Amino acid sequence: MRLLPYGPRALLAEYTTLEEVIAAAAALRSAVIPGVTEIVPAARTVLVVHDGTDPARIAASLDAGSNALPPPIGTVRIPVRYDGPDLEEVAVATGLGVDEVVALHSGATYQVAFCGFLPGFAYLVGLPERLRLPRRPTPRPRVAAGSVAIADGFSGVYPSDSPGGWHLLGHTDVSLWNPECTPPGLLVPGSAVVFEIC
Amino acid sequence: MGALRVRHVGLATSVRDGGRTGLAHLGSGRGGAVDLDSHRLVNRLVGNHPDAATVETSGGLVVEVGRPVLVAVAGSQVDLQVEHGPPLGWGVATALPAGAVVRVGRLRDGARCYLAVRGGVDGVGWPESLDVAAEVMGLPSEAIAVPRGFDRAVRLWPGPRLDWFEPGTWDVLVGAEWTVSATSDRVGLRLVGPMLRRAVPDELPSEGVVEGAVQVPPDGQPIVMLADHPVTGGYPVVAVVDPADIGLVAQHRPGAQVTFRRAR
Repeated sequence: MRLLPYGPRALLAEYTTLEEVIAAAAALRSAVIPGVTEIVPAARTVLVVHDGTDPARIAASLDAGSNALPPPIGTVRIPVRYDGPDLEEVAVATGLGVDEVVALHSGATYQVAFCGFLPGFAYLVGLPERLRLPRRPTPRPRVAAGSVAIADGFSGVYPSDSPGGWHLLGHTDVSLWNPECTPPGLLVPGSAVVFEIC
Repeated sequence: MGALRVRHVGLATSVRDGGRTGLAHLGSGRGGAVDLDSHRLVNRLVGNHPDAATVETSGGLVVEVGRPVLVAVAGSQVDLQVEHGPPLGWGVATALPAGAVVRVGRLRDGARCYLAVRGGVDGVGWPESLDVAAEVMGLPSEAIAVPRGFDRAVRLWPGPRLDWFEPGTWDVLVGAEWTVSATSDRVGLRLVGPMLRRAVPDELPSEGVVEGAVQVPPDGQPIVMLADHPVTGGYPVVAVVDPADIGLVAQHRPGAQVTFRRAR
């Protein structure tokens, strides 16, 4: 872990693997350190925003040194209709049949590594190796809310209509972002996620 | 009719509270008033909770008072006119009768001003009308706000990716006069000045970004992240504005000069 300067009210910890990031964010969440206002995991970093109370304790907690995925905090089940426009292309690119793509994607258990891009957009780790593809060369100007997609080592669900460059495998009617709810996001870092064929 | 009928919405006008912290890990930033200092100040003037909703505007807002209200305006200094009511001074709580028409005109120094109504603004009827939220209040203040001075440098800390830039980049940042671009908005204050050159050309995996972070996209022109900034970003953060100076930097309007100095 490498601690990078970020002014008097934030720390940025950098790691070599995403697993370390997930473990460090989980350790910091469970430590419940007073004065911590935001814990933001990303691909290789954890950003912590605090009020200045105890940065030394935050830094120590970020250096927990684990490289194992922590146990998930609850499981979210998302029913999916696998009728996405990129299903055939993904099958061709991976050398699999459409049925195999669906079976692999719906057979895995995922975990929310971090959120970003849009409110409620969660980057899910646990995508089977054979489904890993770079994102599309040209992003679509509009991807519909509820689209279930894959790109690189991740799966994700678009919480709202937006531009997007991921491969679209299917669609869910589950709402990913409700500002009136606490928390407003369905998928929070650390949650397990299972896609169920419907 | 609500407490206030909106005759003209004006420029970049919206109803804002203090925003929400603690949701960045879900992809949602603070939002809320860009200049939180002025938002809180104007609330204090009318006796509101500091995070009560106010109206943020860059001028041109005209409202008609439907029933008697106590209002105050602060933030940027601004031309204020009242028809059918007493004069409304900048930075002082003023009681207005039904029928008064308030014109929040041209901003004189900053980028946005805040209109508070005692009880807090209820924006449900926006943009046609504004009501009073009737939140629990304290006593209105008889104090008069002091205009924010723009004659000092914004305090700056080194950022996490300063070493991704050529040696001497820090000196360029704090030594140059930066001009605020007209493309600045609630997401970020875009600055124009000497090009900040990268020493490390690598792609940066997206990482968490704080309000006040100074991101540098490939064109080498820095952007200071404001209230509506994305919670993660893939441009390296070269520096970060001291949290106490975010309101100050955010009030620099297009064409204004910004200078930085090292914090502490």
